Amino acid sequence: MAEFVDLNIPHLAEKASLQKLVEAAAHLGYSTVAINYVVDYDEKKKEIVKPLSPKELFTALPLVQGKSKPIKILSRLTLVVSDPSHCNILRSTSTNIKFYDIFAVFPKSGKLFHVACTTLDVDIVCINVTEKLPFYIKRPSVNVAIDRGIYFELIYVPAIKDSTMRRYTVSNALSLMQICRGKNIILSSAAEKPLQLRGPYDVANLGWLFGLSESNAKAAVSTNGRAVLLHGEARKTASGVVYTKKKTRATEEDETTPVSKKAKTAL
Amino acid sequence: MHFSSRLTKMTEFGEGNKPASYKRIVLKNASEYHYLKIHLEFQEADFSLNAVEFKQLIISALKRLHGEVGAALLVDVLTYEEETLSAVLRVPNVGLAKLWSALTLFGSYQNRKCAFRVIQTSPFLLALAGNSRELVLD
Repeated sequence: MAEFVDLNIPHLAEKASLQKLVEAAAHLGYSTVAINYVVDYDEKKKEIVKPLSPKELFTALPLVQGKSKPIKILSRLTLVVSDPSHCNILRSTSTNIKFYDIFAVFPKSGKLFHVACTTLDVDIVCINVTEKLPFYIKRPSVNVAIDRGIYFELIYVPAIKDSTMRRYTVSNALSLMQICRGKNIILSSAAEKPLQLRGPYDVANLGWLFGLSESNAKAAVSTNGRAVLLHGEARKTASGVVYTKKKTRATEEDETTPVSKKAKTAL
Repeated sequence: MHFSSRLTKMTEFGEGNKPASYKRIVLKNASEYHYLKIHLEFQEADFSLNAVEFKQLIISALKRLHGEVGAALLVDVLTYEEETLSAVLRVPNVGLAKLWSALTLFGSYQNRKCAFRVIQTSPFLLALAGNSRELVLD
């Protein structure tokens, strides 16, 4: 059985609350979580911070319910794009970007949605669920995205918080389902508090509300999340070539280059 | 049916005068209800609800998501523990997804943050006796 994945745990400023959130996710049965770092260009905060490593966050990783294995913590970068120039950062070799496992974009207009689906080198395209969709989702761009293995993300916590947002969540989700027919969807939380998190089976059932079939809904919290991780991995390494090196001695890891980048130079 | 009749015949030959009869019955979707074991979680530890208020809360959750038609769903609270805020609910098969999604999207009660944790669901009440989510116990 595929493991459950929640790819959107927002990065909180206080370490203690982030710890609580990850612990709650592990308790509910998520095997993998991704901590989400949002970069918004409209706000004047342009630098991309280095993601927190799991070692900094926990001395001992919390165990997943029913698995007795520690939870896996990844990092994810979300770019809120309202102008095509904002995407340059993904193409260029900018600082700190190599530390992230998954890239996501949050397109603000229909043109950018098309660009994100067809040309941008990302893993996830976020769908806005807090307001009415400002553009129509078109079939050609979605078809290309499905072929390229890009997934669409729907978040469910706004639906818990507020009843008007719940309406937008359901209507936007249904309009997306009409186009993509339940393929390439991931459901994730974006929960800021442990109480806003829901168990993976609950979220899979919520997929029914968004117009997914039973099997697609379960895939949206498990196998599709894994596919996103693998897509990210293939992008990080040289188009899927993985080269691992066994260390002879346990030396101190240098933090400047991740293991995947070192592999590239060795090829 | 063919199978069962042949079995009966065989035993008739074997035992002689006392025919033991076997019957093979296959039931599909035998249960018309689903059962849910749920637990209500509040941010504050000190919060008590009696059974009537608990049922009211479930109906209001259904009403919030599915409207009047959803509130008309036949939901029964079979057992309710006031100290742990946990309960076993019974709902007709068609209403399972409705009830479950309503519980999932229930976020606050009287301006207090809360969450329903669905511990188990099953079409048979007996299955709730064991825990299927934490089968790997050490």
